[in-house]
Amino acid sequence: MGNKQTIFTAEQLDAYQDCTYFTRKEILRLFDRYRDLAPQLVPLDYTGQPDVKLPYELIGSMPELKDNPFRQRIAEVFSEDGEGNMTLDDFLDMFSVLSEMAPRDLKAYYAFKIYDFNNDDFICQSDLVKTLNKLTRNELTEDEVRMVCEKVIDEADLDNDGRLSLEDFQHMIVRAPDFLSTFHIRI
Amino acid sequence: MASEPQRGSREAYDYAEVRNRSDQQSLRLRRVSSRVSNHNYPENDLRPTPAEENEEGDSGPPRELKTIPLPMALKRAVRQAQEMHVPVVSRRQAWRRRKSLHKLKEKARECLHFFTLWRKSLQKIGGNFGGGVESYFLFLRFLVVLNFVSSLLIAGFVLIPSIVFRSVGGSAVNGTGPDECTVYDPNPQGLDLFYNYFLNLLSGTGFMEYSYLFYGYYNNTTVEDRNFSYNIPLAYLFTAVFYFVFCLICIIARMGTAAQVAVATGGGAVGNYSVILFTNWDYGCQGDQATKLKQKNILYRLQVDLEEESRKKKTAALTLGQKLILYSLRVFMFLVSLGLIVAACYGIFKATNFSQIKSGVKGILGLVYEYLPSIVITIANFLVPLLGDQIARVERYSPSNTVIVALLRAVFLRLVSLAVLLFTLWRQITCEGNIESPNCKLCHYNYNDHPCWETRVGQEMYKLTLFDFLVNFALLFLAEFPRRMVVDNWSSKLAQWVGRQEFVVPANVLGLVYGQTVVWTGALFCPLLPLINTIKFILLFYFKKTTLFYNCRPALRTFRSTYSTVVFLVVLLFGWGLATVVMVYSLAQISPSRGCGPFRFFPSMWSIVPTSFYRLSETTQDFLFFIGSQSFSIPLFALSCVVMCYFVALASVYGKSVALLRAQLKLEGRDKQFLVKQIEELSRHQILKHTAGAYE
Repeated sequence: MGNKQTIFTAEQLDAYQDCTYFTRKEILRLFDRYRDLAPQLVPLDYTGQPDVKLPYELIGSMPELKDNPFRQRIAEVFSEDGEGNMTLDDFLDMFSVLSEMAPRDLKAYYAFKIYDFNNDDFICQSDLVKTLNKLTRNELTEDEVRMVCEKVIDEADLDNDGRLSLEDFQHMIVRAPDFLSTFHIRI
Repeated sequence: MASEPQRGSREAYDYAEVRNRSDQQSLRLRRVSSRVSNHNYPENDLRPTPAEENEEGDSGPPRELKTIPLPMALKRAVRQAQEMHVPVVSRRQAWRRRKSLHKLKEKARECLHFFTLWRKSLQKIGGNFGGGVESYFLFLRFLVVLNFVSSLLIAGFVLIPSIVFRSVGGSAVNGTGPDECTVYDPNPQGLDLFYNYFLNLLSGTGFMEYSYLFYGYYNNTTVEDRNFSYNIPLAYLFTAVFYFVFCLICIIARMGTAAQVAVATGGGAVGNYSVILFTNWDYGCQGDQATKLKQKNILYRLQVDLEEESRKKKTAALTLGQKLILYSLRVFMFLVSLGLIVAACYGIFKATNFSQIKSGVKGILGLVYEYLPSIVITIANFLVPLLGDQIARVERYSPSNTVIVALLRAVFLRLVSLAVLLFTLWRQITCEGNIESPNCKLCHYNYNDHPCWETRVGQEMYKLTLFDFLVNFALLFLAEFPRRMVVDNWSSKLAQWVGRQEFVVPANVLGLVYGQTVVWTGALFCPLLPLINTIKFILLFYFKKTTLFYNCRPALRTFRSTYSTVVFLVVLLFGWGLATVVMVYSLAQISPSRGCGPFRFFPSMWSIVPTSFYRLSETTQDFLFFIGSQSFSIPLFALSCVVMCYFVALASVYGKSVALLRAQLKLEGRDKQFLVKQIEELSRHQILKHTAGAYE
């Protein structure tokens, strides 16, 4: 503890604490994790706000993410360039939303983005099929996949346009008390 | 289509907008120097409302910022803007104060996290095995804390005063009644060999019987100093009663928080596919094995739900004849399972009687006879659910119903077997309820067989607890580790078919509930039992954790974690109810032993309360009389009925408004579609008119 760190200015740390759900100690620990991914790329001094991006391959190799079937989508959603290459800001943002303190609406917003594979702000049939296949390792038959997707749209689509909007998704999340604990990465 | 996706558009944050409280909720974003990704920002009301700023709560600027779904750069810009917009000095001070208070709360929360028991282990378990297994360990932790606090309570009010005042202080009441009843000599004469010590430790007899462990050692000492008086029998009684009330309050409080979630979500029905699809994946799941397993789990769950749907369709299409056969089969199977439970209870009854007859035998055989009831109970609790599984297969309920039916049967069996054991003891102690029978006539209880019957009951509960623990421990080494060795090292078809063990949550939870019920039943007669149970549960935690990680594969059929907590607590309440019945009956009906214990000269344990009551001051007596009288209790009862009706009405109103809002939401969506279609039609119409006009 104490103010002896030289990585960030006090102002920067304050800003991070206000913008994420992490404490000072956790932010420094996350910085160490970020740096461990590529020590030669990440400088030890962030006071000048250097422009450092880690490529997706490094992010996707983290033990917390490497087995997650949605890791690519997670990295794409939280990265600035949409390709999965993350700056430290993106990194902190991602784990802040995935921490246990983030509220349900915030998580639902990002979960919606993750499952929206074609980035059209709606979860359509093809997005559902892709999600389902990722969840079950392609082991459901075509019939079963079709039936499940039909049922999902039946249950959750409130405005009857054949696909899920953000409101539909958030409304469905309200009925799922497990969501807060499953949409959570411990780091 | 209706709305254009704003992909790729560079939108930014409008500093001026923050100031104005406009009616539109949308936030117009302007270009900002930093790079922005192709996100579509939500329409959010970012500024803190004036009302919130003036409030004392922590809904100040810092908290609001975290909940905004923007990238970090934009959040920092918003923060800068908000900081600039706190010009009034007093408001800035208030904001700073709120911020420091907020930081203090964060620090306090960090400290509290450090003290939470087993937090890291539970996280690891949850990550690798899922919410269902984690809920078992959470339940176990709750029981450990409950038992620990109870043992502190008992130690503080009963044990320590007993130790301190043992030599000081005299009896509250002097003895009346036949002298034969007061003779109680628990220490047998004879050589005390080493293995005798061990046998005594296991069965609670010998040197353990006349110790602080059991009721018989406590005296009815009353200390009366100048300005301090302590009545041990009264303290004993009130501590026991308060212990039960305290446990009830803890369970209900915990159930309240869990049930709130269940009620708010309106019940997750089976076949809730959207929920399974979107909220079931555990992002905290780490490791290749665990991920594959979770995927298999989801696959299984979807297949089961689809199968249940098709099964429902099939059963709806059954002919009358087939339905009749199915129902009569179910009734028959119910009778069969009832018969099995009755047979098990009869076995326990016989074993307890036999154990009592052979209670004088020494040595290892004597130990076996002592433990006979526990052994029979354990065998019954193992065999009957196994047979119950086979029965369930014939009954052909839907998968979720099968689990519930199996759980209810197992709970019923466990609690009934315990009740039978207690009933048998009661028969022996009170000569089958007949005070006039020759054995019981003299002392109002069976003096010949049980000179100190409370200690005897306490010993039975102690043995049950110990045996339960030993069985768990033995199973770990004799069944689970070898099974894993065999499955891992012997690659034959049989071994693979048997497979590694599954951690079955319901069966384990029932074990915990049974153990806790035994402790509650025995707490009145064996005051140190909660402490022993605390130690037992702590060791059990580590045993179960070890076996989970080394021997088990995660269950394919998961137990849903949201409702598990509520279900476990309800089952625990059943056990509590049984223990309360036993306690109330022992306090009020059976006369205490004359040779031992703090109530030795009272006609019943409860009668010490009226006796001490009359020693209180006049005003206190009048006050307590008033509270107990009809003129107070009837209005109180009426008031609590009214309050309960109010809450029930409130709950139903909330439920109705939730349903109404849902329907309204659907309607709004349809309205929007309709209007959008109208607009499209109109615009198309206009375009056609213009093009037609242009050509003319």
